[in-house]
Order: sequence, then structure tokens, then C-alpha cells
Amino acid sequence: MSGEEEENAAELKIPDEFLKAKCLMNCEVALILEHKYEQLQQMSEDPMNQISQVFEKSLQYVKRFSRYKNPDAVRQVREILSRYQLAEFELSVLGNLCPETVEEALAMVPSIKTRGRAHDDDAIEKMLNDLSLIKKFE
Amino acid sequence: MFFHIVLERNMQLHPRHFGRDLRDKLVTKLMKDVEGTCSGRHGFIVAITGIENVGKGLIRDGTGFVTFPVKYQCVVFRPFKGEILEAVVTMVNKMGFFAEAGPVQIFVSNHLIPDDMEFQTGDMPNYTTSDGSVKIQKESEVRLKIIGTRVDATEIFCIGTIKDDFLGVISDPGATS
Repeated sequence: MSGEEEENAAELKIPDEFLKAKCLMNCEVALILEHKYEQLQQMSEDPMNQISQVFEKSLQYVKRFSRYKNPDAVRQVREILSRYQLAEFELSVLGNLCPETVEEALAMVPSIKTRGRAHDDDAIEKMLNDLSLIKKFE
Repeated sequence: MFFHIVLERNMQLHPRHFGRDLRDKLVTKLMKDVEGTCSGRHGFIVAITGIENVGKGLIRDGTGFVTFPVKYQCVVFRPFKGEILEAVVTMVNKMGFFAEAGPVQIFVSNHLIPDDMEFQTGDMPNYTTSDGSVKIQKESEVRLKIIGTRVDATEIFCIGTIKDDFLGVISDPGATS
């Protein structure tokens, strides 16, 4: 298996260095970038000068698409999802998209059913229920 | 998808910076050099979050510059083929539409938009279903699947589709106004 041709996130075929790396959900990135932005603000009067376009666009994006705003909820989401033997990448996709049904979850992350893990529909449904509870009580 | 990874870079430093705050100078220069850049392998480097270690410097013959290997942690954004993500529509035309997910641009061709959605011209060009219930226009939020990536020296560009189950518009700015 070599290079870009074989890359397919749906089958969890992504380069090793990313597969082993820590994946971040949008809500986590929002916390990190906002913290960094505040630091820059304290250091200089005009932080917009300091930051790159990539930073600005990413910050806007993650703020818009964060499902969970409160840091405790973000921590809980990761904790709940990590009980299900998911790969980092799968965990983050689920946390980002928050599918509502088992069918939707499988369409978003087809690799859940492969790799010989014991994920039946009931387990997935329980996971989605737990997620929606966090959202409700946030 | 965003990742938190460790990267390494050889930093060249001019001798005038040697002194007590050498490390600070090195970190400031590193941030200036790499934040906001993009490479095909690692994607967009959004922000440096920490320095793992600074290796031993090597003096270059003739110039006096010193090269330090620096290991740093950073947040990167790297899109993958087959990945599903949410994006904001930035431009609509008869060829399809462009959307943005953070720093990356994604093009969805009209062949990859469901067949029941027709292009409508006007001052707010859009794709609409025949019954008018679903509309894609500028500022709409869509969920799409990346089916191809093209890597440039300084940019990554993606092709996406919304012609699949559970893909398409998630919110429509026109619906509320």
C-alpha cells in the first residue's frame, strides 16, 4: 500500500502518522484556538495582525460547527466515546457530526462495522443515546 | 479533520540572537515560519501549542548561523478522501458550488448534487428542489463527503459530493429570513 492513491477515510485507511496521532473534535479545537487567541490579545493590542488566515478561518469554522460549547461537556463526550474501542478518527467524526440514528452513524463512519469489533446495533444506539443526553443537559 | 501532532523542523538562527533569550527567539521565529503554512503530507498548520524539545545546535561553516532541530506540537487540519464533514457554502454557480471547511476549499460539481435539485440564477444563485423545500445558496451549511484531494505547494483543494445518504443541507440561511 503506497501513498495517496490508497487513502480512504471511510475504511480508516489514512497515513500511519495520523492514525496514531491524537484526533481533535471541532469543539476541542475551538477551546484550544480561543485560548491561544486570548493569549495573543494580552500580548499585543492588535492580535489580528499576528494571526494567519489559516488560524482565523479555522477558528471561525470550529466556532460555527462546535456541537458542545462547555468544556465539561466536551470532556464528557470524549470520555463516553472512548468506552467503545473506537479509533481516534472514528471518535472525532462521531463527536463532530452527532448522528441521531444507527443507520446515520454507520453511513458517517462505515469502518465501525468492520475491523472485527463487537459493535452490534444496540451498542451503537446506546452510544448515540449517551451523546444526545450530554447535549440535552449541557 | 483536526489533529494534534508532533513535527520537527530545523531552524536557522542568526548569531545576533545568541544570548539569554535564545529559546524565546527560536520559538517566535518558528511560529512566524510555520503557522499558516500548508504541506501535502501534514495539511494546514493551524497553531503551535507547545515545544517538545530543542536539540543541540550545529554551527554552519562560513556563515556563523546555527541550525537547531526543534520538535513542536501543533494543531493541523488535514482533509482525507472518504471523510465526511460539515462546510459553509461560499459561492454557487451553474457548474456547482464551492464550500469552505476551515482553511480548505471544497468544490461540489453539479453532477454530484442530487438530480432533483435545479440551478436557479438571480442575484442569489442557488440549487433548489422542485418543491422548493431544500435550497443551497451562499452561507448554507452542508454536510458533504470528500471524494478527491489535490495537493498544491501551498494549498490543498478538495472535490466533494452531497449525492449520498445523510448528506446535504443542514441549515439554510434563507429559511429564517
